Order: sequence, then C-alpha cells, then structure tokens
Amino acid sequence: MSRPDILKGRFYNDGASEFLEAELHHIGEALYVVEKGTDQKIHVQLESVADRLGNVPRKIYFTGDSVFECVDNEAVDGFFKSETHFFSRLTKAEGSWKFVILATIATFVCLIGLYRYGLPVVAQVAANATPAAVVQTMDASTRETVDKLLFSESSLSDERKAELRQIFDELVEISGQTNPPMTLNFRDGGRLGANAIALPGGTIILTDQLEALADNDDELAGVLAHEIGHVERKHSLRQLYRALGMAFMIGVIGGDSGQVVEDVVANAALLDTFSYSRAFETESDIHSVEVMMKAGRDPLAFVDLLDKILKARNINPEKDDTGWLSSHPGNKDRRESVKAHIEQIKAAQ
Amino acid sequence: MSVENIQSKVSFETKPFTFTGNAKEYFGIWIVNLLLSIVTLGIYTAWAKVRRLRYFYGNTWLDGHNFEYHAKPVQILIGRIIVVGYLIFTQIMTNFYPIVGLVLILPYFVLLPWVINKALSFNARMTSYRNVRLGFEGTYWRSLGIFILMPFAVSLSGGLIAPIASQMAVNYLGNNTRYGNLKFATDTPLGVLYGNFGTTIVFLLAGFVVLGIAIFGVLAGTSSAIGDLLVSLDPGGASLEVLAQTGIFGLIIALYSVIIFAFIFYKAGVRNIAYNHTLLDGVHRFKSTLSRIRYVWIIFSNFFAVIFTVGLLRPWAAVRTWSYIVSNTAFIQAGEMPVSRNTVDPEGNAATAEYLDIDGIDFGL
Repeated sequence: MSRPDILKGRFYNDGASEFLEAELHHIGEALYVVEKGTDQKIHVQLESVADRLGNVPRKIYFTGDSVFECVDNEAVDGFFKSETHFFSRLTKAEGSWKFVILATIATFVCLIGLYRYGLPVVAQVAANATPAAVVQTMDASTRETVDKLLFSESSLSDERKAELRQIFDELVEISGQTNPPMTLNFRDGGRLGANAIALPGGTIILTDQLEALADNDDELAGVLAHEIGHVERKHSLRQLYRALGMAFMIGVIGGDSGQVVEDVVANAALLDTFSYSRAFETESDIHSVEVMMKAGRDPLAFVDLLDKILKARNINPEKDDTGWLSSHPGNKDRRESVKAHIEQIKAAQ
Repeated sequence: MSVENIQSKVSFETKPFTFTGNAKEYFGIWIVNLLLSIVTLGIYTAWAKVRRLRYFYGNTWLDGHNFEYHAKPVQILIGRIIVVGYLIFTQIMTNFYPIVGLVLILPYFVLLPWVINKALSFNARMTSYRNVRLGFEGTYWRSLGIFILMPFAVSLSGGLIAPIASQMAVNYLGNNTRYGNLKFATDTPLGVLYGNFGTTIVFLLAGFVVLGIAIFGVLAGTSSAIGDLLVSLDPGGASLEVLAQTGIFGLIIALYSVIIFAFIFYKAGVRNIAYNHTLLDGVHRFKSTLSRIRYVWIIFSNFFAVIFTVGLLRPWAAVRTWSYIVSNTAFIQAGEMPVSRNTVDPEGNAATAEYLDIDGIDFGL
C-alpha cells in the first residue's frame, strides 16, 4: 500500500474563517498547499497534527495561525507516517467491537477489584503510615471541640475513676496496644447520654451516664475493650482514608456522568460509609470478645449494657434490627455474632 | 431610500446545527477513556476530557464546517493538579486550625468572580469554528454581581427574582463573547423570562401533584400486601421501622427530584430565550427551539437508563442529550457569510476552568 503524497481538504489561512479547497503536498520534509484549480503554492511550516479521534476531520496546524483540514484520517496517517502513533492506534482499536468488549470487561474487573480490595488495602496502608504526632493533634482538637460543645466535667469519685482505670490498663495490656498510648478519660456526657467514644490518637472517653447504667464492671470492661479495638484497628483513620478514596474514585469515574447521576453517586457513597462503619463495629465486637475471654471476664456482658442503653431511649432491644442507614449493627445481630464468636473460641481451645 | 427597501434586499438563510456523532462510535471512546483513567489512577482523565470534548465539538457542524476543541491534555492535567492540591491543602488546614476555614471565606468570595471570568475565557478560547477562536472577556464587578450577589438575592426573594438573575447572566455571557473579531450581543426581554418562570412554576406544581397521586396510589394499592409481608417476615414488627425509614427517605428524594427537574425545565427555557435574542455582528441571529418538557424527559430517562445499566448507557445518554440540543439550534445568516479573524483575547486559565468544572460556554445548559 503506497503512501499518499497528496491530501485533499480545506485550507484556512492566517487566522481567518475564509477557506480554500486545496491540496497538501510535500517535497521531502517541506510542505506546501496548492489551491484547487490553480498553481498557487503556499509554503507552510508544520506545527502539529491533531490526534486521530473517531471520524472527526483531522486538522493539521501550521505556524501563522493556518490550518489544513482533511476528512480522510487514514490518508493523513499515511501521509505523515503516524499510523503507529498512540492515538491513531487507539482510534482503530476503539472501532473494533472485540477490543471494546474486552475493554468493558477489563473496566468492570478493575472497578470491582479496586472497590473490594484496592480501597481497603490503601486505606489500611495509609492508616498505618499516618504519623502518630498527626493523629494526636487531630485528637487534641476533637477533644477541645467536644469538651466545649457536648461534655462537662465528670462527677465520678476519684476512687471509682482509679478502679476503672485499673481495669482499662489491664485490657490495654492484653490487647498488646502500645502505639499510640491509650488514656481513659471521664466526662459527663451531656446530650450524648450513656456512651463511650474512641479517638484515633488513643483517647477514650467514658460518660458518667454509661457508668451509672452498668450493673457490673464486666459490662463496662466489655465496652472499653470494644473501644480499644477501634483504636488498635485504626478504624477512624481507615474510615477517613476510605472516604477520601471513594471520593477520588467517584471523581475519576463519574467525571462526566451527566447532571443528575453525579449527585446520586455521591450520596450512594454515604451508604457505603455506613456499611463499612457497621463492619468496623463488628470487628471491634470481636476484639472485645477475645480480650474479655483472655481477661477471664464475661464476654457477653457488654451486650446487656447495649440493651440497657436502648431501653433508656425507649427502644425495644429485641426489635433492634440493622438498618441500611445505621452506623452500628442492630443489638439483636450483635448479640448473635458475639455469641457465635464465643462458641468459636471455646471450640478452638 | 426607505428602511424597508434596504431590509427587503437582505436574504435570511436559516442554517441548522447538526451532530454527526453516534452512540456506538462514542461508546468505544468512552469505555477506553474510563479504563485508562482507572488504570492511571486518574492521570489520564485529562486526555479523556480532551478526547470527549473533541468528539462532541468535532461532530457538531454548521454550514459544512465543524467545531474544534483546542485544550492540550497537559494543560488540563496541570489545572486539575492545582485544583486537587488546593482542595487538599484547605481540607488539612481547616482540620487542624478550624479558624482557617472562617478566615478564608472572605478572600474566597472576593477571588471567585475573577476565577469565573478566567474559566469562561479559557473555555471560549479553546473553542474554534473555521479556524477562528471564540473569546470571552468579562469584567470583575459584573461577575461579582451576577455570580456571587445575585444568587443570594434570589434566595432572599424566595426565587421570585430568578428571571432577573438569569437575564443578567445570559446578557453578560453573550455580550462579552466574541467569534474572532465579531461580537455577539444578547438582549433578553424580562417579560419573556418571567413567562418561562411562570411555566416552570406550573411544571413544578404539576410534578408535585403527580408525585402525590403516585404515592397515594402505591400506598393504597400495596398497604395490605406490605402489611401481610411484614407480619410473615417478622412478628416483632421491627421491620416496619426500617420500611418507614426507607419510605421517608424515598419521599425526600422524590420531592428533591421534582425540584431538580423543574430547575432543568427552567434552564432549558432560559437557553432558548438567550439564543433567540442573540445577534452576531449586529445582523446575524440564532434560534433555539428546545422543548422544555422533552428536554426534561431526556435527562430523566437518561438518568434511569444509566443507573439500570450500571453506567453502560452513559455514552448513549450523552450523545442523545447533545444531539437534541444541537439539532434544536440554528444560525440565521443575514446576507453574506460573516468573515472573522482571530484576535488577541484573554487566554483564561485552565485551573480555574477545572475548578469550576464547566466545560462549555452554552447559556447555562
């Protein structure tokens, strides 16, 4: 197949919208344009050839704001010997249905792979790599905020605090958690009521209201072990990086999804956040069971305390199901999975 | 010589815009864009954007000539990196020093009009027809008024002065855009814009009525079935709570959707009015004949088509929308074909265009 020496098309000169029907010729490396039906030669200097794309007419740019336009993409590639150019090959591939089907399958595989394996792995690696100093600074500012907005000073006695701290230190030692160092803090929970929270830097806060609701120390110990689990497994950080990763993925994929789809996808990402949150809660529950059994305490006790929290809010624990908008699994399900895990450990012993 | 005589000598020729792209061809380009973007962790998105816009612009024709998009992928990539860097920086800063968030608000709004103008200039400059580029040169104060202050005013008025804001915006866009050395001029009549607004309100109310009927119908028709189903699934009845949660969530989404589609209806109307009152070089006109209902239907059905095919029908939807808009746009040439020459216009800035995530320079669609 011989290379074309002449391209037929239209020539726009000198940054103006007027055009001539013309031909593009070359002598060696030099290019010149000949107006159709005349002998007029206009010498031109090549600036660039547009990348091939579908059937879009190819534009060949010259210095001096002139352009030659040719609809025969194949001929242009032949003329400029650019068949092996990346986009010329890509365009041909995009026209082949076999290639397109392969590309579609590959895309799905990549997407699913990224979501199921890529994201969690990257989130874990990033969580591990985050310097302790950074995490502790984040903790400090969160503590300040909740202390200003939500919590007030605890009214527990110093003896009681010491008691609970001793239990806490025991649990931390069993967990093998040294970095970041963990501290147990006490607060009056205010509007939050009976609850316990764990900040990524190792700050754990137990509210007076939760202490009051518990009937025995095992119940509280189980909750503390659960919170220690959150810090040890770096749940907050992983959640944060996962959210960032999701946002990035959505940005890359949804880049051009059209008016309404983008909003929906962003909101759907929220549901993903909730489901991952539930998975983390279950991970912490399992951690609590393991630590409690090693400590010789009742691993199921803390679920009783969770039930009491619900009763205090006038919710029947028997009917507490896992909703897809919940950040925690329902108590019923938690009790089931904790029991199952206890059996598992007992069977392995 | 009387004015009528001069005018009767000018011939008007309506030249429609046409689109020669198709879903099958675009699918190939689109899926490769997606795959390469994922595999390169987002870097290829700059090339993907250029290919996408070149495909749509390049397949849009007027009078035997097509349009072209000139941004270089590297320009877009650098722009995107700047935007991402800026967003990450502000996120981190406000995380550690929340006060930074407050402090930065004022400078942000002070800079935004400039950013908007730069982005509009960039997008215009990257578009050409017959070797001549479009250009946009805005002014800071008008941009501030139109894009920052007016939205506040519109919300304060409960939406009632929206047509005034629309008039200011499209007039500003049109009057400051050029095709080479030829200027556009847009002068939209407020009355017609209010007419569009009125029709939009009717559409909105109709939408709520339809939604109400649908909900009532669904509830009435299925309540007994749902009741039986729930009892059989869970005697405790807790599932009812989850169902109620879902139901309310669904209702909120439905209401929100009706409002969004009313907004789309409104914008299509504004687009028509803007084109129908735009002149090029003082004599040539434009025509836009979008059916607002049909346009809303297209967006609405596109959405479901894309969701139910896990995104695979997205290229088809994109072609469908663009094709509809293009085929309802025409140029009315008065007399001779206008000749235009490239002029020196502001280049604009790729990063600003990427930040605002606006692609084209259409009147807001």
